[in-house]
Amino acid sequence: MDEDLIAKKDVLEQTGISYGQLYRWKRKGLIPEAWFIRKATVTGQETFFPREKILTRIEQIRSLKEEQSLDELVHILAPESTPEMVKCDDPSLLAPVGTEGRRLMWKDRGYTFGELVALACGAHALRAGTRPAEAKLLVDLVRGAEEAVRDPTGITALLGEKSLDQEGFSVRLTVGVLGHEPVKLDRESRVKHRVDVEKVAEQVKLALREVA
Amino acid sequence: MEGQSISISGSGRVSGGEYGQVRISGSGKVEGDVTAQEIRVSGSGRFQGEVKAKEITVSGAGKFTARVEADVLVTSGSCGIDGDAEVKELRSSGAQRIGGSFHGHYVRVSGVLHVARDLETDVFTSSGRFEIGGLLSADRVEVKLVGDSRAREIGGENIDIRASSGLSFGFSLARGFRLGIGTLTAGEIEGDHIHLEATTADVVRGKTVHIGPGCRIGRVEYMESLEVHPEAEVGERVKR
Repeated sequence: MDEDLIAKKDVLEQTGISYGQLYRWKRKGLIPEAWFIRKATVTGQETFFPREKILTRIEQIRSLKEEQSLDELVHILAPESTPEMVKCDDPSLLAPVGTEGRRLMWKDRGYTFGELVALACGAHALRAGTRPAEAKLLVDLVRGAEEAVRDPTGITALLGEKSLDQEGFSVRLTVGVLGHEPVKLDRESRVKHRVDVEKVAEQVKLALREVA
Repeated sequence: MEGQSISISGSGRVSGGEYGQVRISGSGKVEGDVTAQEIRVSGSGRFQGEVKAKEITVSGAGKFTARVEADVLVTSGSCGIDGDAEVKELRSSGAQRIGGSFHGHYVRVSGVLHVARDLETDVFTSSGRFEIGGLLSADRVEVKLVGDSRAREIGGENIDIRASSGLSFGFSLARGFRLGIGTLTAGEIEGDHIHLEATTADVVRGKTVHIGPGCRIGRVEYMESLEVHPEAEVGERVKR
């Protein structure tokens, strides 16, 4: 991980928030568990955060805290921590999903956050030119992986392709793979489409915020 | 939730489902996920599957093999949860064990509490014994030490750890230790306002920190103030 990190005490100093606030926001799910990175230093164990993510999040919490309760903030800023509480009736309004994305899994209403992320992953693939049947593989895969949606850091969903050529006929197989980076396929397979689930989840979050 | 009620007073097993009340006063087993208004175990009850209830009372022996969700959980007997617990209010005067992590609003321990991973709540008060394998996080941590308690990490706004009252001075305290009145051992303690007694910790970080008698702290980092009792040992003191 070569991400730029910031020590907890520097976060407190720079932003002026208190330990109480930091722990409270963590408990509420506003600061994801995965952002707390424990490292051994000369003075013992210390906690670090991805610099940009934590500073942006604290800024967001502070600017929205005036109007909304902490629990409402969780739905807005960190829907992944309560994915089943988020409901969207028309995902085609969300740019990362769109009408083509919604068609991948039709429901009348009440799409959960996990389903929205799954659809956005499918739409991501569709827009890169994969066939709907293949995009659906991704949707099914991500939809069934609640843990990956709750904590998508470093999670990749991809479509791999393998061809078998034998005596004049050839078959191409597409498989969906979900895993933590680095995800590797065997040498004879190629990656047909790769989706960074964290990025897509982030886009869905932003889109949800715009619609709301 | 209407649901019928079930009561096992001899020995029996039922399958999961939606119930009004589940009462086990004999020896009972519930197989499958259960949703209920109220669950009362005064005999021995074993729940295999996820449990969701408004109120759970265990005065006998309760065993839950998966996740438990409840508004209130009261244990005066022995209660084991193998999975995670999402419980708004936990009052344990018996023995409560949680194999996963605990998430809630209010925790009151006067018996024994074991949590294998994190315990996150708004208020944590204890006059019993606890062991937390991960982080104990709360806005208010109020502990009256009885027996030896441990936590890997403690974090929150106000952290107040007291040796048993009336014994916190001089000779009587030292004697108290020998008699095993109570101690707390933690790796890291972080909070805005911290008051510690009879506590051993590697690192304490806070805004205002008071290190009371009987403490042994490796390193204290403070922002505004630090007071150290003459009967406390502090390795390093750092003001930031």
